[in-house]
Amino acid sequence: MVIMVWSPDVYIYPFLFLALYFESFLLVTFLSKPARMRRLKTAELSVVPNVAIIVPCWNEETTIAGTVESLLALEYPKEKLSLILINDGSTDGTPAVIDRFAEHPQITTIHKENGGKFTAMNIGIEHAKDAELIGFLDADSFVAPDSLREIVAAFDAPDIAAVTASMSIHKPITLFQRMQYAEYSLSITLRHVFASINGLYVAPGPFSFYRRSVFTEIGLFKHAYLAEDMEMSMRVQRAGLRIGNAIRARVYTKGPSTFPKLLTQRVRWTTGFLRNALFDYRDLLGNKKNKVLGMLVLPFALYAVVGGISLFVYGLYQTITHGLHTISMAQTVPFSFLFSWHPFNWFYLPFTITTLLGAALMLNVFVWMMLGKYLSKTPGKLVLNIAIFIVLYGIVAPVWLIRSVSDVALGTRTPWR
Amino acid sequence: MSFFARNALIALGITVAIAGTVAYTVNYLNRARITELVAIENQLSIDTLSLETQFSLLETAPCDSVASSSVLTNELADLGDRLAYAEAQLGKNNVQVMQLKKQYSLLEIRDYLITKKLAAACGAKPVTVLYFYSNSGDCSDCDKAGYALSYLNTTYPALRVYSFDYNLELGALKTFITVNKVQRALPAFVVNGKHLYGFTSLEDLEKIFPKGALASTTATGSTSSPQASSKP
Repeated sequence: MVIMVWSPDVYIYPFLFLALYFESFLLVTFLSKPARMRRLKTAELSVVPNVAIIVPCWNEETTIAGTVESLLALEYPKEKLSLILINDGSTDGTPAVIDRFAEHPQITTIHKENGGKFTAMNIGIEHAKDAELIGFLDADSFVAPDSLREIVAAFDAPDIAAVTASMSIHKPITLFQRMQYAEYSLSITLRHVFASINGLYVAPGPFSFYRRSVFTEIGLFKHAYLAEDMEMSMRVQRAGLRIGNAIRARVYTKGPSTFPKLLTQRVRWTTGFLRNALFDYRDLLGNKKNKVLGMLVLPFALYAVVGGISLFVYGLYQTITHGLHTISMAQTVPFSFLFSWHPFNWFYLPFTITTLLGAALMLNVFVWMMLGKYLSKTPGKLVLNIAIFIVLYGIVAPVWLIRSVSDVALGTRTPWR
Repeated sequence: MSFFARNALIALGITVAIAGTVAYTVNYLNRARITELVAIENQLSIDTLSLETQFSLLETAPCDSVASSSVLTNELADLGDRLAYAEAQLGKNNVQVMQLKKQYSLLEIRDYLITKKLAAACGAKPVTVLYFYSNSGDCSDCDKAGYALSYLNTTYPALRVYSFDYNLELGALKTFITVNKVQRALPAFVVNGKHLYGFTSLEDLEKIFPKGALASTTATGSTSSPQASSKP
C-alpha cells in the first residue's frame, strides 16, 4: 500500500528531481574515462611554446604589483614568457605601479584611455605577436608557480582552443569571501568534469589561455554585455572548437568582500550569461552538434536561475508562514514552552521526500566541493567555509538572480563595479 | 550510442533509483507510523476494557483502580500527539488516520466516563477538560487554543484533557456533544461542566478552571507536546 500525501512540497519536486539528475550526470562523467585521463595527466612538457600573459588593469593599485610578481615567479623558461600590462585609463595609482615594472625584460607596459576590459585585452593580443599561447589574468589575481606548466600541458590536442585554470579565493577573510571559497571549490570540480566532455561556456578572466590562432580565426574580444570571457567561449564553442581545463593550475582571485560588491559582480555575470545565451548565442541552446553544451549545460544553467528563484520564493513563504505562526503562539504561551526539549522518538523524524532529496543534494554538493579542493590541491580551510556557505548562499544568491532577471527583462544597463 | 547519450541514460537510471529509494523510505516510514498507531490503540483498547472490568470486579473497593486510570489518560495523551503528527504528515483526508482518530475519540470518551465513575465512587474531584476543535479551516483560534491547553496540561499534569474534532463523523461523539450541550462555536471548552466558547488568551482560559485547580503541579508523568490533547 502506498501512503503519500499532497502538500505544497509537490511544486518543488520537479526542481529537486532535475537537480538530482544534474548531479548524477556529473558523477557518471566524473568517473568516466575522459575525466579520469585528465586527472592523471602530468605537466611534463614535450614542447615549450612561447606564451604571453596579458594583464588588463583598471584602478587596481592595491593588487597589481602582487599579480605581476606572482607571474614573474612562474616556473617557465623566461625567454619563452612575456607579460603585457595594460593600464586601461586608471584614475588611481595603477599607472605608477605598472611603470615600476617597465624596465623588466619580460614585461611590456601600455597605457591607454579607458575603453573597457575587452579593448585592453585586444590591444594586448596585438602586441603578443610571437606568442603561440595567449593568457589573461585579472589584476586582482595571483597564480601558483607551477600553474602555467599545467595549463600548457593541457593544450594536448589541436582542437583545444582554450584552457581554463582552477580558481579559488585569495585569503578569504569576510563571511562573503569564505562563502565564495566554498562555491569556487565546487566550480573547480564542475569545470573539470564538463571540460572533459567539452561542456564549458565560459573561460573566466583569471588565467584562461587561448591559442593565438583562435583570434585570427574567430576574431577578438567584444563588449558582450561586460561578459567578454563568456562571449568568447561561446564563440569558440560555436566554431566547433574545444575548451579544456587544467585542474591543478591554481589561480587565486580577490573575492568581493561585502555584499554590495558581490551583488554587483554577480549581477554582471548573470546578466551577461542571460543576454549572451538567450539573445546572441541562442543557437547554442539545444544544439545537437555539441549536445553536452546545448542539451545539458546551457539548459541547466538557465534552469539554475529559474530554480534558484523558485526555491527561494518557496523557502521564503515557508519561513514567513512558520515565523508568523511561532510569533502568534509565543503571544499565547510562554516562549520556553514552545522550544522545550522532547526526548528522541523515531515517530517524529521529519523524513519527507523534500527533506531527504534536499539532504542528498546538499551532501553531494559538499562532496564535490571537497573533491575540487583535493584534486586541485588548493590550500585553505574548506569545512568552516562550507558551513558559512550553507548559512549564506541560499539567502544571497537569489538576490542577484532576481535582480539579474529583472535587469534583463527591463533592459537595465549593468555597471562593471 | 554516443558517450553523452550513455552518460545521460546512466544518470537517469541513478536519479530514478535515488528518487525511488527516497519515496520508498518515506512510504515505509508512514506505514510504520500507522502500524505503531494501530498497536498503541489496540493496547489502549485492551487497557480500557481491563480497567472497566477491574471496576466491575472491585465493586466493593473500586478506588484501587485509580492509579491505572491515570496512566491510561497519559497514554491517551501520547497517542493524541502521534495522531496529530500523523495527520499533519499524511493529511486530514487519509482514511487510515481518520479511522484511527475515531477509535481514539471513542477511547477518550470511555476514559472520560470511567474517570467520572471513579470520581463519584471514590470522592475524588479530578479537573476534566473537554476541548472541541475543528481543523477544517473554520476555526481560526483553534491552533492557539490547542497550544494553550497543551501548556496547561504540561504545567499541571493532574488535569485530564480530552480533545475532540467537532466535525468527526462518529455517532458516539455526536451524542457526547449533545449530552454535554456543546454548541458549534469553536473552539469550545467544557471544564468540569462549565462552558467557554472562543479563545482570547491563556489568562481568560484559566479563569474557567475551578479555584485551586491550577495551583498544584502534582506530577502524574504526563508529557504533552504542543499538539498534545489538542488537535489529534
